[in-house]
Amino acid sequence: MTHFLEKLVFSNRKVVVALFAIATVFLGYQASQMRLDAGFEKNIPLNHEYMQTYIEHRQDFGGANNILVSVCDKNDNIFNKNFFDTFKNVHDQLFFINGVNRSLVISLFSPSTRFTEIVEGGFAGGPVIPADFNSSNPEALELVAANIEKANIVGRQVSSDYSCAMVTAQLLDIDPQTGEPLDTLALAAELEEQLRGQYENEQTSIHIIGFAKMIGDVANGAKDVLVFFAIAIAITAIMVYFFSRSIMLTVLPLLCSVIAVIWQLGLLTSIGFGMDPMSILVPFLVFAIGVSHGVQMINAVEKQAVKGIGAKQASMAAFRSLLVPGGIALLSDTVGFMTLLVIDIGIIRELAITASMGVAVIILTNLLLLPVLMSFLKLDERYVEKFAGKEKSNSKFWDMIAACSRKKPAAIILTITAILFVFGHFQAQKMKIGDLHAGAPALHEDSRYNQDTFLITDKYEVTVDYISILVETTPEACTSHNVMKAMDDFQWKMENVDGVQSAVSLASVAKIVNAGYNEGNVKWQVIPRNQQTLVQAISRVPTSSGLLNGDCSVMPIILFMEDHKAETISRVVDAVKDYRSDYETDDMKFSLASGPVGVMAATNEAVSEAQDPMMLYVFGAVIALCLISFRSIRATLVVVIPLYVVSVLAQALMTYLQIGLTVSTLPVIALGVGIGVDYGIYILSTKSLMLKQGATVQEAYFAALKERGSAVLFTGVTLAIGVSTWVFSSLKFQMDMGILLTFMFVVNMLGAIIVLPALARFLWWNKNDPNA
Amino acid sequence: MKKTIAACIAATFAVNTVSTAIAEEAFMAPLVEQSVLLDIDADKYVVIVGERGHVLISENGSDFNQKQVPTQSTLTATTVVGSNIWAVGHDATIIHSSDKGESWEVQQYQPDLQRPFLDVLFFDEEHGIAAGAYGLFYRTLDGGKTWSAERHASLLDPYDREYLEEIRKEDEAFYQQELESILPHINRITLDNDTLYLAGEAGLLAKSDDFGKSWQRYSVDYTGSFFDIKPLDDETVLAVGLRGNMFVSRESSSWEYIQTCSTSTLNSILISSDSEVYALGNNGKMVKATRPIPTSMRDPYANPTDCKPGEGISVSQIDDKAAILNAKQFKGLNIAVSANGVKTLNLK
Repeated sequence: MTHFLEKLVFSNRKVVVALFAIATVFLGYQASQMRLDAGFEKNIPLNHEYMQTYIEHRQDFGGANNILVSVCDKNDNIFNKNFFDTFKNVHDQLFFINGVNRSLVISLFSPSTRFTEIVEGGFAGGPVIPADFNSSNPEALELVAANIEKANIVGRQVSSDYSCAMVTAQLLDIDPQTGEPLDTLALAAELEEQLRGQYENEQTSIHIIGFAKMIGDVANGAKDVLVFFAIAIAITAIMVYFFSRSIMLTVLPLLCSVIAVIWQLGLLTSIGFGMDPMSILVPFLVFAIGVSHGVQMINAVEKQAVKGIGAKQASMAAFRSLLVPGGIALLSDTVGFMTLLVIDIGIIRELAITASMGVAVIILTNLLLLPVLMSFLKLDERYVEKFAGKEKSNSKFWDMIAACSRKKPAAIILTITAILFVFGHFQAQKMKIGDLHAGAPALHEDSRYNQDTFLITDKYEVTVDYISILVETTPEACTSHNVMKAMDDFQWKMENVDGVQSAVSLASVAKIVNAGYNEGNVKWQVIPRNQQTLVQAISRVPTSSGLLNGDCSVMPIILFMEDHKAETISRVVDAVKDYRSDYETDDMKFSLASGPVGVMAATNEAVSEAQDPMMLYVFGAVIALCLISFRSIRATLVVVIPLYVVSVLAQALMTYLQIGLTVSTLPVIALGVGIGVDYGIYILSTKSLMLKQGATVQEAYFAALKERGSAVLFTGVTLAIGVSTWVFSSLKFQMDMGILLTFMFVVNMLGAIIVLPALARFLWWNKNDPNA
Repeated sequence: MKKTIAACIAATFAVNTVSTAIAEEAFMAPLVEQSVLLDIDADKYVVIVGERGHVLISENGSDFNQKQVPTQSTLTATTVVGSNIWAVGHDATIIHSSDKGESWEVQQYQPDLQRPFLDVLFFDEEHGIAAGAYGLFYRTLDGGKTWSAERHASLLDPYDREYLEEIRKEDEAFYQQELESILPHINRITLDNDTLYLAGEAGLLAKSDDFGKSWQRYSVDYTGSFFDIKPLDDETVLAVGLRGNMFVSRESSSWEYIQTCSTSTLNSILISSDSEVYALGNNGKMVKATRPIPTSMRDPYANPTDCKPGEGISVSQIDDKAAILNAKQFKGLNIAVSANGVKTLNLK
């Protein structure tokens, strides 16, 4: 099979190169059409129980995808002409931005913002900002100030210190102009340009938060990724040059890896996918894996060239020897990434497709195209001598490392590994699910977005961090004292749960209205037992309040949370499950959940449920492929055990660095396994061949190190240096990934060249050198 | 006049209802000190009551403990006599403790009545009254073991009284029915020596010299509700109520308007010193009046624009703007109850 392929490929070298060139031009064109693409629903486990509730009632109560714009006066007092003029403009501008649900743009200027007051004759009321409002009239401003207090919106629409006011809007899922899914990034750009760009100045600051803005900021930060990509390529190039001492041997593997990335991006565009900002690192991973295999290839060619057989023969030999191990390694990566498809979250599925496609492409570019290209090189005497010299100096180094497979060092290595594993396992158990910090975890704490989040949380009583529990009951249930009392009692118990800042529901509003009907006397702030009185109170709450549907058979209880840390969410969700059993009847269910935190709760649960199966599938794929290719349980074990230890240690590192397991960090372990498996397979393929030929473990290991070791060591170090520059990224998310990937590159490499032989020493107990 | 007094005493009914045993226990809430708290009383210790059957006791005025009580009904008023505490509220609930709030019993619970008590007052450990919505008026002579209902037609304004007397001549049963529905809410009853003062709905201010058996309604040129009435000294009585209105009566002459220019309803009066008195109300408003309190000829219904408060009157507002329901002085502290819970007022 290999021979047939070798013959086919190398006797038609020019055709192969031409085909690759055509494909690259085509896919390169496709890749140039690549767009960033972000969507709210991609991040949601749509089939989760909570999300079923969310989707079912989204029509009535709006989605979880909203935008808050806080306009602040820099002199800390909103009651001036400039502020109200600006604020009106911001309201109108937001109203007209495409994708905003216009019926749900709410601020002081929306007609639904009304006040009521109690006068001797009953109620009096009107819009907070009257129709004839004139911002240059100080008396009009005074009147608005009084109305704001009467409307009871301080802390919600106006900050508690009267320095800011808020416009809130909900976003549509489908763009009404095009009928296509909403272009979230375009909307985010519009928010930035048309609101902040136009209206932020010396007197006014604009603070915008919400999923769309967050992902927009991430996408902007992701543009820097190109710079980091370039830095990583440059570092890799320099390192490869030192490794190969040849410009051509430096250019070719990098070129092939870049071609892999181009193909990947081109293929993605061809099948109609965009690049999600949160998956922006995948192309780099493809590049890294490509380099890893490319370096093995030039290493193998070098080794052959030393024998003086010429570039073409050397390339053919390298192709022959690496096609199987390289192919298996890449195939197990591909299958491993494909297993991420089982996780029912859009963005992870996209990542599974993106990553597995990229890795599969490397089989073609780096295992096939690269040796073909190298076969055109002219390796003269001078090069051959250079390589030979390098070989000799390396031998001493490998001799030293080879001691790892001697009994005593092996025992020590395995003991340390075991201790690390136990420690890591213990730490990994403590890994948190979800976001561990307030604000957006993808962005740095000092980013504008997170600063805006902190400002809004600080100045207002409400935030985007809310969860709705939907009380699903019978039509007209809001006129039943028992139903309303149950809701009210449940709400109060939830308000007492640590992490819940405040809460609102039809029941709590009805109580306030009832007090209103009783001359504003707080002593009447109860759910009336008298049904007519209850109806009277509820009739003042319109369905546009979002507190009831048309026939009041569904009523949300909205809990505003102090933050959206995973612990807070799970504490609140657990409390809901605990308390609701006291109130639920056949006709009344308290269903989780809607609102942004409801979505997060579902996502956290889905992610935490997906974690174990994902590991199982990824390792299952690796184990299966190793078994098939090595036909040896021992060989499979020595590859998989170090990999597993490293992935546990990576989880421990996440605990230590306070990186939570989220939709964006969940795949990183799987990706790490994908990177790590290459090293092990390359080392082992030589080794297992030698063992089969009757060599001792020590001999086999030394041979493997000499043949593949330098490439493994080199790749690990090079890629680690490349990704470690990510700690300077403007995205917190990229920084975290940089740390995790650096760790994976280095530790997996160490696992393959140190732990693997030590394990082999004991697994092939009968094949040891009697002196070792 | 004699005729009226006689009519008032007339309507007395024996009631002793703890309808259906209630299995409700108040939920012990971590946030109880920030819940809607509606009344406070203090003697050697402080008692605070509020929504959902919340009862808080404090020995020092700063640390409060929620007590386990056998009701979840919102409690609107409380009174302390020695180690006895009574608390009353919605669902016509009356609960009692004889051990400073450690253990409680339900003395009245009539949710079907659909009427809340709004105030409670005991003259000693045996004799007390509880009053509330639609003229609800209960009296006990045995520390609350038995309660009897009374209807005081004398609390009605003269026109209504005249109308009712007409009916009564023809049909006593219909008279009782009409009386029941026409009687105003009783918001507050204050005891001063042997005199009772009463503030209620729709301009109701009244006085009783026989522990509430009969009432003399004051004539006030205002029909908004009053929420508190308190004598400041032998000659001066102050009443506060809806939309920030304050009236003062001096030496039994007619009630005079006090101009505050604040339109937030005033719930309670706190006499902070011999020279100063505070009226506390909705939106966290505190109206300070320095005595002698200035009166005004202004129309109480007038729009408050272009308004200047009388001399010695000043209005302030607490930070969170929560409605203040009542306040008591205890161990040098001014402890208030509000829609946002317990507050210590800084009255400087």
